[in-house]
Amino acid sequence: MTDTITPPAAAAPATERPRRAWRPYRADRAGRGWVIGRTALLLAGAVLTLFPFYAMVVLSLKPTGPVTFPDSLLPWPFSTEAYDQVIGAKSVLRWMGNTLVYSVVSVVGVLLFASMAGYAFAKKRFPGKETMFWSFLAMLMVPYHVTMIPTFIIISELNGVDTYWGMIVPTLANAQAVFLMRQFIASLPDSLFEAARLDGCSEWRVYVSIVLPLIKPILATLGVFVFLWHWNDFLWPLIVGQSLDMRTLTTGIASLQQENVPLNMLLAGSVVAFVPIFMAYLIGQRYFQEGVSTTGIKG
Amino acid sequence: MRVRKRLSAVAVALVAALVATGCGGSGSGGSGKTTVTMWIYPVIVDEAKHRAHWDETVKAFQSANSNIEVKTEVFPWANRDQALATAIAGNKGPDVVYLIPDQLPKYARNIEPVDKYLDDAAKSDYHENLTKSVSIDGKMMGAPILTSAATPICNKKVFAAVGETTYPTSWNDLLTLAPKFKAKGYDIAAYPGDSKQTLNQTFYPLLWSAGGDVFSPDGTSVAFNSDAGKKALTFVKQLVDGGYVDKSLITNVPSIEQTRIGQNKVGCVWHVPVAEVEKLWGKENIQAVPHLTDVKQIGYGTVGSLSMLKGAKNKEAAGKWIAFATNAENTKKYDLASNFFSPRKSTGTLYAGDPVLSVQEQQVATSTVGPLHEKARDVQGVLFPEIQAALLGKKSVEQALDDAAKAAAPLLR
Amino acid sequence: MVALPESQVRRPRRPGSEVRRLRRPSAREAGTALLFVLPFLLLFAIFRFTPAIAGVILGFTDYTIGGDTSWAGLENFRRLIDDPTFWSALRVTVLFTALSVPLSMLASLGMALLTRRAFRGAKLFRSIFFLPVVTSLVLAGVVFTWVFADGGPWSRAMGALGLPAGSWLADSALVVPALVLVSVWSRFGYGMLILLARLQDIPAELEEAALTDGASAWQRFRYVTLPQLRPALFFVAIIETTVSFQVFDMIYVMTGGGPVRSSYSLVYLLYDQGFKYFDLGYASAVGVALFVMTIVVALIQRLTLGREE
Repeated sequence: MTDTITPPAAAAPATERPRRAWRPYRADRAGRGWVIGRTALLLAGAVLTLFPFYAMVVLSLKPTGPVTFPDSLLPWPFSTEAYDQVIGAKSVLRWMGNTLVYSVVSVVGVLLFASMAGYAFAKKRFPGKETMFWSFLAMLMVPYHVTMIPTFIIISELNGVDTYWGMIVPTLANAQAVFLMRQFIASLPDSLFEAARLDGCSEWRVYVSIVLPLIKPILATLGVFVFLWHWNDFLWPLIVGQSLDMRTLTTGIASLQQENVPLNMLLAGSVVAFVPIFMAYLIGQRYFQEGVSTTGIKG
Repeated sequence: MRVRKRLSAVAVALVAALVATGCGGSGSGGSGKTTVTMWIYPVIVDEAKHRAHWDETVKAFQSANSNIEVKTEVFPWANRDQALATAIAGNKGPDVVYLIPDQLPKYARNIEPVDKYLDDAAKSDYHENLTKSVSIDGKMMGAPILTSAATPICNKKVFAAVGETTYPTSWNDLLTLAPKFKAKGYDIAAYPGDSKQTLNQTFYPLLWSAGGDVFSPDGTSVAFNSDAGKKALTFVKQLVDGGYVDKSLITNVPSIEQTRIGQNKVGCVWHVPVAEVEKLWGKENIQAVPHLTDVKQIGYGTVGSLSMLKGAKNKEAAGKWIAFATNAENTKKYDLASNFFSPRKSTGTLYAGDPVLSVQEQQVATSTVGPLHEKARDVQGVLFPEIQAALLGKKSVEQALDDAAKAAAPLLR
Repeated sequence: MVALPESQVRRPRRPGSEVRRLRRPSAREAGTALLFVLPFLLLFAIFRFTPAIAGVILGFTDYTIGGDTSWAGLENFRRLIDDPTFWSALRVTVLFTALSVPLSMLASLGMALLTRRAFRGAKLFRSIFFLPVVTSLVLAGVVFTWVFADGGPWSRAMGALGLPAGSWLADSALVVPALVLVSVWSRFGYGMLILLARLQDIPAELEEAALTDGASAWQRFRYVTLPQLRPALFFVAIIETTVSFQVFDMIYVMTGGGPVRSSYSLVYLLYDQGFKYFDLGYASAVGVALFVMTIVVALIQRLTLGREE
């Protein structure tokens, strides 16, 4: 699960914090030697970083059999048999469906509840506000694994083991999300809300038609990360989703590995699990990277 | 392009899966019908075939019992006790579940004995030793549906390459053959020692045939650090130290096709089911041999049974289903599909024509189901790392077994 | 509490301006505000607050799923102290953290400095380095199991360099270093982005002035860049330490804690005790130990790394 990390102090909206353009300047003109050295180091880093991905894809496209190094890293012999088996005989697609449900529902839930709470914490006054807020923060200090066992007991008492809701609902209590929302909304000028209120809008209307559109950037950033956390989450789904039908991609692939299925099938399953998050990364790269650099949100 | 086609197929299937999952979970709306839920594990390795078997059986059952709905859920082998124990604790356990004998003591207080749901003819049809292995305090805790005998299997290709024609009958034979195999670049055997393996199929057979046992007769202490235990572990250590087995399997067991076993470099193994090597060795190259002998001839074999849990909502219905699912006809179908053996006399031998399975089938009588102890699995958890330590030379055999016994003591309190 | 350094992000405006704070909120306003907080508050109370308290309390009980619960006092902690497995798990966890945090920060810093300026391909490199961060450790573990296998790429490379060949995962001394490498691979892109953000906020004039003064590249880095980076480095150190303390996924997939428990971490112990043996009281005691450890290390880091703030 996700919000185990202490939050960074603030998420300032990008508009408020113009980034200086990247520009080369004098200190950089240190000569060709530096440029060549830098390029060589970066290329080496990139090759090392990408090698496991290359190996994952190329080994998954082999017929079942012993893998040797380095011969097996060539793209031939080529075979999609592992994909046929992993998609046909194993429940990988079902697991992908589960993972999607787990991730998408959680994103919607976290964004909704956190933005509502964040709005109230940022722009409203009510009794107990400070106490509540600080208790949220204090709880972030408690490692997730301490809370995991009682959470599991609660879920099992509520008959939520091996169900979608049992898996999803506890993850909606994401204090880090509320924190980021509060920081973002607090930085918006009060006048925006006052005007709407004077026009006689109800609080809910203000939230839906003023707050939500204004916080799109943080919704996108946070949404991307909540999706990522859930897509890659392991320990909680491992404990709660126990039957084959309730496995997610991560726990499902781990169970394939425990069953000792052939390596090419294992890697084919991994590729299937990786492609969606990779696509999301390609499309939402900006949000991933800016999310980290402006809010320090945990990757 | 092929790839694109495949991708779009994935996308379509994905949406289908979503729809399917979205609409699930609304099964209990029947009127006057009772539902029996059963948890089962991938006994038939091919998932589709496995589900098909149960779908058919359920259909046949319902033609006579139209008011009973049967829901079968397949769970993975891995972590199956975790799933079951937590479900039972949360009153969310199934009505019927597949259990093997070494699980029975752990769940005994949650199990409804099946004696009164099976008729006498059915009960007397079981081989006596099998009835005994699923009984606690004289009551049958489950209705056996399959049995197995994990005898060693040897690779004929490897034996031919080494120029050896006689197959081992005792553990000592392995040691005698070992140098000859090594000289030709082969391993005589394999010993997998990582956390995924059950000791029932790796170390315990050695322990039993050396005359030892895991627990003391009264079950209050462990007994694997006896002389027999030391002898058994020393035997494995000799194989390791001599370079007769692949050392890397002691700590990490990869998929079988990546191992020397899968690459036709290993003479005999006793932890691998026939089905797993069929493709890699070729069915015609598998030579099953009877359980090996040291002091006595014995090996591991399991009994799979369907047990009813005390929390079953409708015991009559659950009992009817158990009796039906484990009757001679269905047992035979299930066992043939899963390559297991029948626990019943009336089905006769199932694999008389099969050169491999017929050998194993005859060994059912010399197989034992492993220690029937509530903490059997927990004790394995403390014993396997110590065995690793001994085999890797970090500890002496005596030290390792004594340390494991020490670590096991608090579990048995 | 950890925070991005003040200079790095804008301090949030205090909710409620000075003037309005004097006025008491109307009951209506407070009511609607509470309604907005309520859903989250409930979730939080049930699934975070209660479990956090209960998690600590459970450590003092004898709680087994399906069995009875009884007060155990300090019994679980006494057992913890006598349990060699606990000490070895603690040692593994500390060793893993002590190796992986500095190494991954070093890689983060190196890559941040290299991709700091705008040049063709800088963005592409940054994207590549961040890719492992979005990759599940289960998938990474599956691939790296092969990378580290006997005769695989790593053992061949090490053999060629005259270092210990063979499978590092099978060697009790080398298994933690192998896991550290995977962790560095998976984490350095995150630290890199944090440091990059900070690097770009360092006024160019500072470095240019140093350059005019004839400072060497190393001097510029040591006396201009590094001090400016310090708060960001502190932040990364805290995050990476917390992540490392909780290492589990990749160990579960790659080694199962072996060989001979030499990669068996605290969270693995907690998982085994809690969900394999169902000794939830004892597992909670392990959790409390983890909790205490996290706080102690955060304090130490604050006192050393973060002392000038």
